[in-house]
Amino acid sequence: MLAYITKRLLSLIPVLAVVTIAIFLIIHITPGNPAAAILGMEASEEEIQQLNQDLGLDRPILEQYTSWVANVFKGDLGDSIFMKQPVSEAIAEHITPTLSLAILAQVIAILLAIPFGIIAAYKRGSIADYTLMGISLLGMALPSFLLGLFLMLFVGVKLQWLPVAGYEPLSSGLWEHMKYLILPGISLGTIQAALITRMTRSSMLEVLNLNFIKTARSKGLHEMKVLFKHAFRSAFLPILTVIGQTFGTLVTGAVVVEAIFNIPGLGQLILNSIARRDFAVIQGVVLVVTLMYVTINLIIDLLYGAVDPRVRLDRK
Amino acid sequence: MKARKLGLLLSSIVLMLLIAACGNGSDPAAEGAAEDKGSEKQAEQQEYKDELNIALTAQPPTLDTALTVSAVALDTAGNIFEQLYTLNANYEPVPALAESVERSEDGLTYTFALRQGVNFHNGKEMTSEDVVASMNRWLVTSSRAKVLLTNAKFEAVDTYTVKLTVETPTSDVLILIASQAQFPSIMPKEIVDAAPADGIKEYIGTGPYKFQEWKQDQYIHLVRNDDYQQVSDAEPSGFDGRKEAPAKDLYFHFVTDHSTRIAGVKTGQYDVADSIPIESYDELAADNNINLLSFPGGALTAFFNTSEGLLKDVKIRQAILAAFNNEEIMLASFAKPDLYSLAPGYLNTNQVQWSTEAGAEYYNQSNPEKAKQLLQEAGYNGEEITLLTTKDYNEMYTATLVIQEQLRQIGMNVKVENFDFPTFLETKNDRSKWDIFVASTGYQLTPPQLLAVNPDWAGLDNETVKQALIDIRGAATPEAAKQEWEKLQGFLYEFASSTVIGHYNGVVATTKKLEGFELFEAPVVWNAKVAK
Repeated sequence: MLAYITKRLLSLIPVLAVVTIAIFLIIHITPGNPAAAILGMEASEEEIQQLNQDLGLDRPILEQYTSWVANVFKGDLGDSIFMKQPVSEAIAEHITPTLSLAILAQVIAILLAIPFGIIAAYKRGSIADYTLMGISLLGMALPSFLLGLFLMLFVGVKLQWLPVAGYEPLSSGLWEHMKYLILPGISLGTIQAALITRMTRSSMLEVLNLNFIKTARSKGLHEMKVLFKHAFRSAFLPILTVIGQTFGTLVTGAVVVEAIFNIPGLGQLILNSIARRDFAVIQGVVLVVTLMYVTINLIIDLLYGAVDPRVRLDRK
Repeated sequence: MKARKLGLLLSSIVLMLLIAACGNGSDPAAEGAAEDKGSEKQAEQQEYKDELNIALTAQPPTLDTALTVSAVALDTAGNIFEQLYTLNANYEPVPALAESVERSEDGLTYTFALRQGVNFHNGKEMTSEDVVASMNRWLVTSSRAKVLLTNAKFEAVDTYTVKLTVETPTSDVLILIASQAQFPSIMPKEIVDAAPADGIKEYIGTGPYKFQEWKQDQYIHLVRNDDYQQVSDAEPSGFDGRKEAPAKDLYFHFVTDHSTRIAGVKTGQYDVADSIPIESYDELAADNNINLLSFPGGALTAFFNTSEGLLKDVKIRQAILAAFNNEEIMLASFAKPDLYSLAPGYLNTNQVQWSTEAGAEYYNQSNPEKAKQLLQEAGYNGEEITLLTTKDYNEMYTATLVIQEQLRQIGMNVKVENFDFPTFLETKNDRSKWDIFVASTGYQLTPPQLLAVNPDWAGLDNETVKQALIDIRGAATPEAAKQEWEKLQGFLYEFASSTVIGHYNGVVATTKKLEGFELFEAPVVWNAKVAK
């Protein structure tokens, strides 16, 4: 197990090197610079150059990259040019809303998807199956922002049950925190649910035809026990993979939904930073997001072993 | 076993969240009931909320007003900082932190008497050393001060008197000090001395609100300055007059998405929503709970490249000017005739001092035949010209597309290059890469501040223009200055270095419950309050 983890972590190094070099080049090749963003439309060229010099952005790109990497190894992601605070601090501030939203959306997705998937598989070919699969197909095709805008108009503006946009940290109370996240959570969660439902259904179908299920039934076990204890447990591995992947997508920033609901998460941070050409933040966020994505995948792989004892990770 | 533990963990999380969601599900109803009680009381005695929520379009880069021209920054910072002089609703400079000013006979020195007993938010009294430090910093950081008040200097005379010396006598010194773009905030000397190149970090002024908190990408929170000393007892007018600060807390939210700003002002989450897009105008105008206010927003202007490429030839530029149908361009960009007007003047048409029709014969000609004729005379032979634009500003992009079509109609070969805004700005500075660009910019207060006469902006480097600016500033009377400006505006059209396309209104939406709100050059909120 330990050897496996070490190997996986080591394989991270080339991934991160490629990602950081690529993003560094893309950012610096793109025209536009942070000094112009700070000084505004009417600033003169001379003023912009002066500020660039003060910010150290006139140095050769290789020198900027190496000094950035050296600082990253010391745990310093640099300072945001626009927000005038350390990048690590900015990321820490923006990651909590994203995490809260991702967890809520994932919970909504799982709560909807797993029962629906099981019902669809169990009642295969029935009206219930077709209806659920039809809805999930629709869900996969629907962009989350469209659902988000619809929810905002209907629940927020028309019924006025929930605030249309904004964010309150958990420290202002659980409900204060949750009420801003419910609508974006639903718009993200239901879309993810569509994918997980389809995965649950096909995975369950495969297992339900196997011999051990027939054995369990012929033993006279209660149908619920057959479904959940025997079938679902065996069918869970591929479902877990999908859940992991969707969670990765959610955590690394739901850019559009965050923008619509004005949630100051990672997605908003990277979007704003691109418009502001805030190089240090873009680099920092990309680095952190890559790390998170890889880590989530690693955790999912490790969970395989926990869920299904037949999987032995260190025997390769 | 592990799986079971995991399952248990997962299901308990789910259960917790469910309980949380259900347990609080009844809250909105309870809130509704509370509001009902509020409206019962309202009949007896009007009560006001102690906070005000304003939805801005973007997060400001800084609140250091001497550095930035960003409107969202100046809108917010105007509540924290004050100036020596400020503008009233008639665009006249009136004293604020200064009590009075005396101009010397030769027009080279201005002696300002400061108000006494004005305290900064940190409790320190404002004296001449703070004013001198703040103003001298502004003279070297503000791009306009640098050009228009070159080598000027502030000095302390005594604790409550400062003296400004300028190089040449001009008629616009006070208005420069009072203008809103990159305005000179008065702040404590220590903060000015410690200010880094990219802006001050501590926002301490003398205004009716104090800086409290800046939540990155969320909001700026200001609180009432309970020790605020009124700098004027007059009725509120523009930025002048009493500042009552009835709301204890001001929140300036950064809400980039316009549909979110609109939804927010409809539900009362925001009391003021800045920059309402034209396509939402009718929808909001039909809403009984919303007030729509419009104000002269600025001018949409087309700038021609007079220094490089095909348009270096004045004939070609005049041909293009002849082809322009401004009505068509404005209608496409601003959709509703109520929201724009056509006039050749570069400055705000409400500003009587500078409003002129000079150059009208070259404005909105819509004469393709004349244009073709001029192109032929210039020997135009199908060379490609480039229109530079950005989709980040919808009106600029739409106008560019209409211009492209109008120029095609006269047989020109026109290409549109579209970039995001930062790239647009950088490309604009390289004059080999474009021939025409359109920009929507807020109004300037005096002709020398105009982008259309600024060589840095679009590369117009012309001796006639430079001399005319000197004549305007050195004119003995306002009437003489206006005459000089009329000549210059006429020349700009004749030389075809740029053309105003039209004037547009900005639209701000507020809740009907908002009182004491004024829309001048910025949303003025220091006397605003919202009925409960």
